[in-house]
Amino acid sequence: MNAIELRNVTKTYPLFKVDNISLDVKQGYITGLIGPNGAGKSTLIKMIIGLIYPDTGSIKTLGSEMHNQEVNIKQRIGIVSDDCFYYEHLTIREMRRMIAPFYKKWDDKTFNTYLEQFELSPRKKIRDLSKGMKIKFSLAVALSHDAELLIMDEPTSGLDPVFRRELLDLLADMIQDETKSIIFSTHITTDLERIADYIMFMNQGKLIFNEVKDDVLERYTIVKGDMDLLDSDTRSQFVGIRETAVGFEGLADNRAEAERLFGNYALLHRPSLEDLIYYSAKGGRNHA
Amino acid sequence: MLNLLRKDFIALRSSLWVIPFYLVVFSFAFIPQSEMSMYFVGIYTAFGSMILATTIDIKNYNHNFLVTLPVSRKNIVQAKYLSAILYALFGVLASYGIHSLVNINYPELNKPDYSVMDILISLGMVLVLVSIYLPLFYAFSKKGAGIINMVFMIVLIIMAQPAAFLISKAGENGMGSASVYVFVSVCILLLFIASYFVTVRLFARKDL
Repeated sequence: MNAIELRNVTKTYPLFKVDNISLDVKQGYITGLIGPNGAGKSTLIKMIIGLIYPDTGSIKTLGSEMHNQEVNIKQRIGIVSDDCFYYEHLTIREMRRMIAPFYKKWDDKTFNTYLEQFELSPRKKIRDLSKGMKIKFSLAVALSHDAELLIMDEPTSGLDPVFRRELLDLLADMIQDETKSIIFSTHITTDLERIADYIMFMNQGKLIFNEVKDDVLERYTIVKGDMDLLDSDTRSQFVGIRETAVGFEGLADNRAEAERLFGNYALLHRPSLEDLIYYSAKGGRNHA
Repeated sequence: MLNLLRKDFIALRSSLWVIPFYLVVFSFAFIPQSEMSMYFVGIYTAFGSMILATTIDIKNYNHNFLVTLPVSRKNIVQAKYLSAILYALFGVLASYGIHSLVNINYPELNKPDYSVMDILISLGMVLVLVSIYLPLFYAFSKKGAGIINMVFMIVLIIMAQPAAFLISKAGENGMGSASVYVFVSVCILLLFIASYFVTVRLFARKDL
């Protein structure tokens, strides 16, 4: 069962294109959406939540398309974004009074518990909240109406390390019952290394992969070696490569093939998600 | 729908004083000066309130928040058209009430006795303005909508005297027959309905 299904989704802007994306977000799991700036992550999320419309293709959220079941879908999703579009002149209490009646399953007790946990005063105006506090408020709203799917666009970007850890624990707890799902875009890849089950990687408007996190990290490898190991054949193995005066470091997308080619002449180790973003974005062009 | 109207009330609560303020300012500005003051006070107050209610939704790109709530974009537009009718009724009836009080307390101002027809004409004018304004408001971005608001206020001020002249000429030339009123009313209603459908179409496909 998929929480989200995209089929051949394309969105074209004058200088940018999200190009023919097809993907599934599995129900009951945390899926991390990663990619460099301008990769198309936010555009993709905006299309999923209905802020923008794809030029072509279809998007199903919780089994239905937004234009058929808009209200029903929105009842069942929670949205957390680092962009805050609440009414800035209102207090948290007034925003709650505005938002709560829209949701059939709104739970005031849960909302107040989160406000306490996140140390948010209901009397504070939205405009007086820091970026991190706005994300916390947005999270409290998203978690207070029993959402089946949490869609989070850069939710940890303004948060301090202590609360980031707490948030990750909270998200991990949320999916314990295996019916709820989370899609989570971020630049802070260490967060996803901690909690994500699946990783979606976008670059230049294209989906590079959408796979189980551990499979991805097993499949790719970082290779470090001397410059004399590089020739046109070996270079073609690398997704991205960084050359220095003393040697090279590159990301290969086929660990077995890299082991066969470089054997004991180079050092191979498991990449981080940050390595995947860095080398994929830089390609083979970077020379340090 | 009720939740969206309630949302407007909560968002506007700290600015609601502006609406009676409009009534007072426009009353002082028009009642001693113009024979058509009943129209102007009602129309300006109603339309000013409408602009207040739309502007509150674009200050912080709040449409991006509203469309994430469990309502359709069509509902959001419907609520704005419904609130436009409420503002029109409030502005026009308040103006009628004020003019009735002025007639009783300040007979020296020589205000005419206003009738239900005057109320309907004012309402019709507000609905025409709203029918032009709302599709433009929803079609443009935050910056564009701000410009639209300003343009409408300026046009209203500039057009006040020519409109008064036209209304009085129409009255003098006997254009006020029942059939003309019915025809114009039907046209205004059709314009309002067409405007609603155009706005829904524009906003439903708009990228935010």
